[in-house]
Amino acid sequence: MASVRSHESIELLTYSEVIEVSGYVGNFKVKIRKKPRYVDEIKCTGCGTCQEKCPMKADSEFDFGIGKRKVIYTPFPQAVPNIPVIDRERCTYFIKGKCRACEKFCEAKAIDFEQTEKIIDLDVGCIIVTTGFDSFDPTPISQFGYGRYDNVITGFQFERMSSASGPTGGKIVLKDGSEPRSLAILHCIGSRDLNYHEYCSRVCCMSSLKFAHLIREKIPDAEIYDLYIDLRCFGKGYEEFYNRLQEEGVNFIRGRAGEVTDIAETPEEIGRLVVLCEDTLIGRQRRLPVDMVILSNALEPRADAGEVAKLFSISRSKDGFFMEKHPKLDPVATTTDGVFVAGCCQGPKDIPDTVAQASAAAARVMAMISKGSVEIEAATAIIEEEFCSGCKTCIALCPYNAISFNEERKVSAINEALCKGCGTCAAACPSGAIISRHFTTEQIMAQLEGVLT
Amino acid sequence: MAEKKVATKKDTEPKIGVYVCHCGSNIAGTVDVPQVVEFAKGLPAVAIAREYKFMCSDPGQSMIKDDIKQLGLNRVVVASCSPLLHEPTFRHAIQEAGLNPYLFEMANIREHCSWTTEDHGEATEKAKALVSAAVKRIYLHQPLEVREVPVNPNTLIVGGGIAGIQAALEIADAGHKVYLVEKDPSIGGHMIQFDKTFPTLDCSACILTPKMTSAGSHPNIELMTYSEVEEIAGFIGSFKAKIRKKAKFVDESKCNGCGVCIEKCPWKADSEFDLGLSQRKAIYTPFPQAVPNIPVIDKESCAYFLKGKCRACEKFCEREAIDFEQQDKIVEIDVGNIIITTGYDPFDPTPIIKYGYGKFPNVVTGLEFERICNSVGPTGGKIVLKDGSEPKSIAIIHCVGSRDENYHKYCSRVCCMYALKYSHLIKEKTKADVYQMYIDMRCFGKGYEEFYQRLSDEGVTFIRGKPAEVTDRAISEEEKGKLIVVGEDSLLGTVIRVPVDMVILCIALEARADAKNVAQLFSISQGADAFFIERHPKLDPVATMTDGVFIAGCCQGPKDIPDTVAQASAAAARVLALISKGKVELEATVAVIDEEKCSGCRICNLLCPYNAIDFIEEEEVSRINDALCKGCGTCVAACPSAAITHKHFTTEEIMAEIEGVLV
Repeated sequence: MASVRSHESIELLTYSEVIEVSGYVGNFKVKIRKKPRYVDEIKCTGCGTCQEKCPMKADSEFDFGIGKRKVIYTPFPQAVPNIPVIDRERCTYFIKGKCRACEKFCEAKAIDFEQTEKIIDLDVGCIIVTTGFDSFDPTPISQFGYGRYDNVITGFQFERMSSASGPTGGKIVLKDGSEPRSLAILHCIGSRDLNYHEYCSRVCCMSSLKFAHLIREKIPDAEIYDLYIDLRCFGKGYEEFYNRLQEEGVNFIRGRAGEVTDIAETPEEIGRLVVLCEDTLIGRQRRLPVDMVILSNALEPRADAGEVAKLFSISRSKDGFFMEKHPKLDPVATTTDGVFVAGCCQGPKDIPDTVAQASAAAARVMAMISKGSVEIEAATAIIEEEFCSGCKTCIALCPYNAISFNEERKVSAINEALCKGCGTCAAACPSGAIISRHFTTEQIMAQLEGVLT
Repeated sequence: MAEKKVATKKDTEPKIGVYVCHCGSNIAGTVDVPQVVEFAKGLPAVAIAREYKFMCSDPGQSMIKDDIKQLGLNRVVVASCSPLLHEPTFRHAIQEAGLNPYLFEMANIREHCSWTTEDHGEATEKAKALVSAAVKRIYLHQPLEVREVPVNPNTLIVGGGIAGIQAALEIADAGHKVYLVEKDPSIGGHMIQFDKTFPTLDCSACILTPKMTSAGSHPNIELMTYSEVEEIAGFIGSFKAKIRKKAKFVDESKCNGCGVCIEKCPWKADSEFDLGLSQRKAIYTPFPQAVPNIPVIDKESCAYFLKGKCRACEKFCEREAIDFEQQDKIVEIDVGNIIITTGYDPFDPTPIIKYGYGKFPNVVTGLEFERICNSVGPTGGKIVLKDGSEPKSIAIIHCVGSRDENYHKYCSRVCCMYALKYSHLIKEKTKADVYQMYIDMRCFGKGYEEFYQRLSDEGVTFIRGKPAEVTDRAISEEEKGKLIVVGEDSLLGTVIRVPVDMVILCIALEARADAKNVAQLFSISQGADAFFIERHPKLDPVATMTDGVFIAGCCQGPKDIPDTVAQASAAAARVLALISKGKVELEATVAVIDEEKCSGCRICNLLCPYNAIDFIEEEEVSRINDALCKGCGTCVAACPSAAITHKHFTTEEIMAEIEGVLV
């Protein structure tokens, strides 16, 4: 992260979003909205005084809601760049018109409540989309009691709890501050589930094993239950890690939990969470009284994946993740030339696989840069302007946004660099003004004649 | 004059800044940081000592930079984590403030102290000792210069499977020369042996051959098939490779690949490509779509080489391309980078006697089944038993040689999915009942779980449990003449006997038999599982500890095709970045030999793990190649004449550091 910030060839645009993409491989035009931070990036030294003095708090997104942050904040201490932003929705000054504590204490005079968003236009040759994943919200699976029971947390929340710089300073604790004596880790929450995501999230088995190890390390005598369907430890050193956990004394139970409840049936269960499950290896129902339940929740496509796909003209597969050009042999390209995907936006994956894919996408881009030019499909469509009535039917239909309307001449025009030769416009043109090269009416009729001989 | 000299000396008088990091609570939770800072302030030559919660963050770095400028610091000690993580960060920071980046020292008070010492008092004392050691040592540091060497834009890729082909195409498409070396007569690797690929059921050859042809005809790729790398010298940016081009006994420039020689050859041998399930001629291409389409003569089975007569191929070759006198050729090439994509070996299940491989003809391996299922394979794609009849039931046993303490502890990552693919192909081609015997179903890739669901709907019987035995001893009428798979169904909790006609063993992927030699040749390392080790398992999965040598695909560990392709492209990206930069920076903390003291004993020559030391015959002394030296210090410690000095690890510096620790 520090390298990215200080690298002379990287311009970081944080707190910014792409709002428009036009052009084609080799010549994209991108509009970026730089949201107002209300902090002058040039003046701010990142001293942190503003955050210290800010009197208002909000739930920390970074800590998945189990910690607090100030209203002027950097999400975490090592943030890059180390420049805070003001959360307008929760800032007293923006809500009630007074406070300005941050401004008062800022020695660099970097606070700027008048800042507005900026639109930046960029020209680029290639685009790599690495927008990642969202963590699945287990609230809808009401039988697991997430949101209802304090001590049912998600895997991502556990990550923050276990982190030394997290809200509990790395202590694994229950809501009341006490240490749990027994914990259950439930795999496949939202994954491998026809009601939510059919796919396997690929990383949860291993992160669950990691959780078990961290618990064992921090609470040596805790009773740990791992409830799984299949243990998918497929990476380098992963199976070995699974073996190690077995030796560390974790109870592996093969079976998906049915329910988490607080209805006690025995004195031992009183005041605890009870995980109901079928242990498929002994073929029996079990009730596991525990103090804490960790839900290993799925990785899912980002909520805005649909918009992002539209913005960059890329497709999504059935599971909602972005689709690669070929699942086996072209895992980072998309069907739009010059737009590549990498990481979890293409599907759940672990860090090494993400890093490899990211480098792969970089390779494709570098190859194009060092070649300096791209060859473009020659069998494209052309519009015979004399026949074009200017109805614009083709413009709306073109899946590659390759057709624009020439206002002066009142005709449509095809950008050959964008046209992929799909023929949609040629088929749709009511005036027969569009010719799909190598697929002219004559050629197709001749081919039909040939078939019928 | 004298005055000026004094002034200069004063300028270079060490002025040290010490910065102690809290690392959140990672350090500050155990070590009393303010105490360490107070202690550091009292150390000789220390001008300032400070603390901060994250020294690596922007404000932390700015603190150091400001002090350098305002206080005129000329040496910086940061007490924080392992230098493996942030040494480059801090070196860069002090360089930005105008200091030589090597006037920096890191005291590791996290991994070496706060994480490993429970008692807070002890941890604080240890942190003080480590800081004191760093201060004493840095006092003696001299500025070092980073050297740059140019990068030869040519790349050597070793192994012509999908990984090698992919990496070669990426680099060649970017306009740079690639030498693609393959030991077999054709590129294609294991992928070309497969029938279909999971989960999309694409025909493996159909999707691979376009890439093979591209590689074969690419103006920037020089294919060197039937060739092996014999020797590697040099270093990142300028390697020299010696490659043995084995004699094909066919002149590549004359042969047009018409295939008449193969047709006319009267001699046969077991086909390696079909794993011995079919025969090939003594002059052969391994498979019809071979790239290049040039046959080789197998000396071991050729009648002319064995008995001195035949020469049928020569007689019928219109192009007069057959050349029985051809010799192995040694080709020398210069390259800047190397990518190793040597792939894997399929595990041989013969030693697992209980599964009867080799004993029962209808127990086959997964790879053999791929060939049986393939329409150009030995049975023309028909799934048949050894006697030619169609099996009525087939058992597929997972994890043969994988997840097994006796063979390989690791999971081979692809077997669950190819086992599912087999089920599908069997269901498609026969009416056979299919039993999958698994431990865990590991369907983790994109579309994999969905494929598993589909197979469950296709009526495959899944039995959880690793079988104990495959036997032909029947204990009931129904079992007579069958193979009986005996095991425990761990879900039912009972012992089961499943009578079947055919058993497919899902064999592990293992490191190649010659992985050790390859590792030695390229100065890279192997893990406990014998696969090559990457530089960092999370964040640097394709680099190795030898700069300029990258790994991709199954030689690094079992993986499926998309992961292999991504890794191959990743390795290509690393190479392309080096090529487009045009130069590399080399480690400055290297060893130097004082030639006056060198007795010429050559002990260092043999010990150097990077082959960086040469003996200069004329002067009878050893000399270190700066570009190859990684600064490991082995030679320094071993030199009986103490003629070798290790920059930044001189005897004085090490003694000072020890003194520091002992305060």
